Formats: sequence, C-alpha cells, structure tokens
Amino acid sequence: MTLSLTRRALMALTSAAVFALPAGQALAEPGAWSDEPVRIVVTFPPGGTSDLVARLLAKHLDESFGQKAVVDNRPGAAGTVAADFVADQDADGTTLMIANNAPFTIAPTQFEELPYAPMNDFTHVAYIGASAPGLFVKPDSGITTVSEFVEAAKANSISYGSSGVGSISHILGEAVDASLHVETLHIPYQGSAPAIQDFRAGVLDTFYDMVAQNSDMIEDGEAVAIAIAASARFPGMPDVPTFKEQGFDIVIENWVGLTGPAGIDPEIAAKIHETTLAVLALPEVATTLNDLGITHQPLSTEAFTGFVGTQIDVWKPLITAAGVKGK
Amino acid sequence: MEIIANFSGGLGTVLQPQTLLYCFIGVFLGTFIGVLPGIGSMAAIAMILPLSFYLEPTVAIVMIAGVYYGAEYGGSIASILMNIPGTPSSSITCIDGYPMARQGRAGVALFITSIASFGGGIIGMIVMAVLSPGLAKLALQFGPAEYFSVIFLGLIAASAVSNGGALRGIAMVMAGLMLSTVGIDLTTGDLRFTLGVPELRDGVHLVIVAMGLFGVGELIASIKANQTGRGRQEIDYTKFYPTRREWRASFGPIWRGGLIGSFFGALPGTGQTVAAAVGYAVEKKVSKNKDQFGQGAVEGVAVPESANNSATQTAFIPTLTLGVPGSASMAMVIGALMIHGITPGPRILTEHPELFWGLVASFLVGNIMLLVLNIPLIGMWVRLLQIPYKLMYPAIIVLICIGVYSLNNNVFDIWMTLLFGIAGYLMRLYRFEPAPLLIGFVLGPMMEEQLRRALLLSRGDAMVFLERPISGGLLAVSALILAYGLWTTLRKSRAPKTAHSNNKTSSNTGASS
Repeated sequence: MTLSLTRRALMALTSAAVFALPAGQALAEPGAWSDEPVRIVVTFPPGGTSDLVARLLAKHLDESFGQKAVVDNRPGAAGTVAADFVADQDADGTTLMIANNAPFTIAPTQFEELPYAPMNDFTHVAYIGASAPGLFVKPDSGITTVSEFVEAAKANSISYGSSGVGSISHILGEAVDASLHVETLHIPYQGSAPAIQDFRAGVLDTFYDMVAQNSDMIEDGEAVAIAIAASARFPGMPDVPTFKEQGFDIVIENWVGLTGPAGIDPEIAAKIHETTLAVLALPEVATTLNDLGITHQPLSTEAFTGFVGTQIDVWKPLITAAGVKGK
Repeated sequence: MEIIANFSGGLGTVLQPQTLLYCFIGVFLGTFIGVLPGIGSMAAIAMILPLSFYLEPTVAIVMIAGVYYGAEYGGSIASILMNIPGTPSSSITCIDGYPMARQGRAGVALFITSIASFGGGIIGMIVMAVLSPGLAKLALQFGPAEYFSVIFLGLIAASAVSNGGALRGIAMVMAGLMLSTVGIDLTTGDLRFTLGVPELRDGVHLVIVAMGLFGVGELIASIKANQTGRGRQEIDYTKFYPTRREWRASFGPIWRGGLIGSFFGALPGTGQTVAAAVGYAVEKKVSKNKDQFGQGAVEGVAVPESANNSATQTAFIPTLTLGVPGSASMAMVIGALMIHGITPGPRILTEHPELFWGLVASFLVGNIMLLVLNIPLIGMWVRLLQIPYKLMYPAIIVLICIGVYSLNNNVFDIWMTLLFGIAGYLMRLYRFEPAPLLIGFVLGPMMEEQLRRALLLSRGDAMVFLERPISGGLLAVSALILAYGLWTTLRKSRAPKTAHSNNKTSSNTGASS
C-alpha cells in the first residue's frame, strides 16, 4: 500500500511528461492485470496494421503472460466510432484500443465537433511504433516513378482508394495531389482490405496503403509501390524509394499505441505498459512488427502521452492543406 | 475431381475431436432452441457468439452453422407434435405434420422429417461445394455496381415473395433500409437520425432489432394465441418406421424440396421459410396425391423439411463467397468471422480453404449427428414442450434480456428490444412481415456504401448499373421478380379471399432465423 502511494505521489510530480524516465513503471512487473478478458478495440475492419498489431498483442498477452484478450473491430467515421466507444468504457484496464493517427491526430482537426477529447478522455498507455504508407499502381499502367504518375494523372482522370475519409491514406492522397498539383478521384473504403479487393478487381486505378503490408502483392506482380512516404527507405523493403528522394517532400508516418479510457489507475497502467513492452520484445513479435513495416521505439507512458499531444499540431497544417477539414 | 480432394481435406478438419465436439454442441443447442417456440436460430447464434471468440475460426463457424441447421430440425418437432412452429420456417410442416400426429403417425412424421432434412441438407451441401468455387471466381470481377445489384436483387426477392404481398414486403424492406441509416455516416462521419440520443450514434444493433421483432414479438403473439395452452395430447411417437408406400412417396419430394431449397437459400434475402413455402406449393401441384395435402400427407412433411434444411446450407454461399449475408443470422456469421480476422469474400476459398471446406464437410457430419441424435431424443423434446408457458416464456424473456444487455452492457438496449418487440407484435397483427424489414436493415449499409462508391467512380453516371453486363443482368432479373410479385398481389386482391394456411401463430416468411 505504502508502495503505491509513493508511486502515485511521484506520478503527480512528474505528470507534465517532462520525465522520460520510466519512473513509476520500474515498479511494475509484466503480467496479467485483469481476471477478465481484455477487449482491444480496433478502429478499422480486420486486415489493416492496427488490426494485425491488436491480434499479435492479444495472442502473446495470453500465451506469454496469461492475460486473455479479445480483438473488437469497430470501424467507421475515421476511427472516431471506436475512440468514442472506448472513451465511454470503464477505466479498469479491460478495454483498450490500438490508438493511431485517425481518431487522435487527424479527427481533432478534421471534425468541428468530436464526441471525445483526444487527451482528457483517454489514458495513453504505451507507444508501439510507426510505419509509412505508399502509392500503389497497376503493373500494366507503365508507371514506375512519381514523375510518371504526375504525367499520367495530368493526362487522364485517375482514381485512388483509401481506408476512409480522414484516414492516413486519404491524407497522403490529398497531400500528393496538393504537392504534385494534380487532381485525382478519391474513393473511400472502410479499411484497406476492401479497397485492395476493388483494386484487384480493376475498379480502382491506384490506392494508398501501408507499404510493408502489401509486400505479397508486390512480389506477385499484382501491384507496384512507386513511393513510400517515410523519411528513409524501410529496411525490410529496400527497393521501394521514398517520395523525398524523388524530389517530393512528403513524409507521413502512421504511429500505433495502446490507449484506454481516462482515469486508468496508474498502477494498472504501469502494469499494462510493462507487459506490452515485454510482448513487443519477444523475438517472434519483433519479426512480425518488422514484417508489418513498423519500427518500434520504447517510450514511457509520459513520453507517449506527450507525443500524442504534439501530433495534433504537427498534422494540423497537413490536414488543412489537404482540404479534408469540414463536416 | 478437385472437389472431392478438397472435400476430403475438409472432412479431415471436421473429424478432429475438438471440431467434432463443437459441431455436436452446435447441433444439439440448435435443436433445443428450435424446439422452443418463439425463438429461432438467430437468438441461439446471438447467445453462443461470445463463446465463438475463444475458438479457432473453423471450429467457431462449424459450431454456429450447427446451431443454424439444428434449429431447423428442432423446429419441425414442435410443429408436428403440437402444431406450434418452433421456427418460422417450420410453420409449413404444421400443415401436414400435425394431422399426421393426430392420426397416430407422429413417429412416422418425425422419422420422415429426419430423413428429409438429412436428404435436403446433403443436396444443399453438394450444391454449395459445386457452385461456390465458380461463383467466387466470378465475384473476383465484381465492382461496386455488381455488389449493389446483387443486394438489390436480394431485397426485391425478399419483398416480392413475402406472405403479405409484394407491396407490404417492399414497405417493410424500405422501413429496414431507413432504420439502417441511423448512426454515423460511414463515408463522411456525419451523425444521421440519432435524435440527439448518444446511444443511437452507433446505429441500432442487429441483435436488438432481431430479438425484438422475432423473439419478443413472437412471444407476445403466442401468449395471446395460446392462453389456454395446448392440449397435452396423447400422441404415440413410438412407431417410427414408415411403410413402404410412405418411403416411396417421400423420395421425389425430398429431391424437389432439396433443389428448390438450395435455390432460395443461395438467393440473398430469401431463406428457409420461402424455400419451404415454395417447395410445398410446387409439390402440391405436381403430386399425384393432391387431395391428401393438408390431411396428413407424407409428402407435405418431406418437402418443406428437405427445402428448409437445404436452404440453411446454401445460405452460406453468398455469405462466404461474396461477403453478402442473405439473412440476419448470416450477418452474425460474418461478424463472427471478422472477429477472427477473416473477411468473407471471393478470396476466402483460396486464403482459408480449410475453413470453407471444413464447413462444407461439417454439414455432412452434423446432419448425421442430427439423424442419430433426434430419433432417441424425441421423448425428451416432447417433455420440454410440456413445460407450461407461464414458466417458459418468462425464462425466454430473461434470456433475451441477458443476451441483449451483454452486447454493450447497456440497459438502454433492453428498452429498445422491448420497443421492437411491441412493433413486431403490431406488425403481426396488421399482417406486415418482419422478415423483409430485418433483411433491409442487414443489407442497407452495404447497399448504400456500394451505391455511393459506384456513383463516385462513374462520376455520377447512374447508367453504370445497366451498362456493366453482370450488374445489368441482375437488375433485369430483379425487375422480373418485382413484376411477378406485383402481378400476383394484384391477382390475389381481385380474387375472392380463399382460406389460407391453417395456423395463425406463424405468419413469418423470409430469412428470419
């Protein structure tokens, strides 16, 4: 008891997220934090990065730490449906979500009214990592570089599929349009899986999605990734050039983290944080994250919370420039 | 003979002890729920859905499927013995099954039911195994226009062949479509028709609508209809074995019923009830034994049972290969698969062959289990039916409330369910079918999404639906069905009213359960 009181006092002192030291967490041991199965809410339908990360976490939380976890996909309205749902749940650590750009950094700028407050309604518990999306075209389109894409888009009307209005793939699509001075036709989907299905069926000319996730399609010759919106090439796929090196300064990276409703007991939050980091350190998990194109960095809960807070401002001009704002 | 190789692969999956066990749990629970009047497979699936999250996807889907066709089986038991359809689709079985029971041939009727269900199930299974790969290949070419047209065809079929007539059916489908627009607009994020109620932001949950309209609504209707309680008749169900003549008489109907059922099961929007009703009508026309129908004809039991069971198997065809659920139950199957990260669609056969063929093979295993299970257990089901309603109905209501509450742990959902229950009862009173409403509600969001996407891609040109050959063809078929439905409705309203089916508790059609 004394232990936890001291820890709480310490948390209060360092609450401004200045301390990157894992002060409170040093006391927590990885392990199960609830007798009930934990619900991990995903903002998209099955098949995307967030979903795969959630399933990976759920599997290893159970296998390695005996913490049962269930993945719950609640797609819709650029992740705000899921975030709104999580904000309303009990803060006992049994409902968590895979936090990402959509509800936390894009929606606050995109929507005038949000049913939740990105910072105050949540406990941002653990940072997982970041990946980058890219632009995919059909192999028979003859397009291999961004410059050729610009030419093609100026000659003909080109459509692109995204994971939904205000999703990271939509923002990238609009950012590409704005900085390359072209006009493409946006077709929103609920997540990338149905968009890719339509791309394969020949309905869409191009689509934007996380690059690493679609390595199979690239290998099978079903799609060509002409550029990735990362600051550097992804080590797992060194053949995909960045927008930057082709002369276009477009960097849009997608981060994922583990977040719950506001007011999770700091002790439980620390336990969740430590357990999550322990899962991420498992070799099998590290390999899968690399396959997903995610670069992991261990951040303390405070540092992660601070990161989410600054992301809104970082993205604001990007979203406004892309013209996604409104609605 | 790729199909045989695939099928034996699936059989290998099913014959593993764990899969066998859950297949058994599924068919047993399904039969149990099916025997109980008032709640059908929809309620049963809703109850076991949370359990399925903890199972391997193939095992989960085998169990859910078992509940689904097990309920059809169980429904017929109550129909024959007590003239109470346990599920909406077994109401047709009452017509000849109950007279047979009164003539002391209940055992024979139940036996024929088992054989016919088994036969229909196997026919449905073969149809699914043969047709699915081709359909999946075709569906790889499907764009938004084709998906829209498939769904449109399903909705038209659901409304045109409903019991109350095409106009009432269309009205109900429209009501379902309108209800499905409540909540957040998935393409813009705007709130629609939430009336400022935060609980409505996510829309109305499928389970709430289904449990309300069918579960609670049916219970209210049955209470009124059965205030006196059914006579606890002394039926001899010990004589099972049909005579040689009865064997011969049921062979043709099983075949025809199985094929008719396969067709209506595979068509999204229609389902077991339509299959059973059409099968019965056709059989009545082709049979040499016409005047026996309604007085305990063995054919009248064989046809609907074969048809509704084959329809439950083929309902999985559009659900799995297109991702278009043909009924509310199938929408829950899709939900169960999505939880496991499997998106139903044309790629499911190549990406998850073990799941698809395991399911197909489980139909064979599950139907055999039902055959073996049902004959010795008939006595137990009969005793279950003799529980007084004043005890049974409150118990069912409690189960429904628990199921609905567990969705979001929200009492608001229970009130909504009761509201839909009252609406469902009123709809029955005024002869509006709840089934087309439910199917409109299920398919509405998908239809809207595909419509908007198709129009975006065509830059607002609506001709795209007619110009693309598959889409245009589907719409042409829809137009024919609609014309036929309106024509028969018109003809019926002009002709003098003839005596309709002989039981009042069962006015449901469509893919309700």
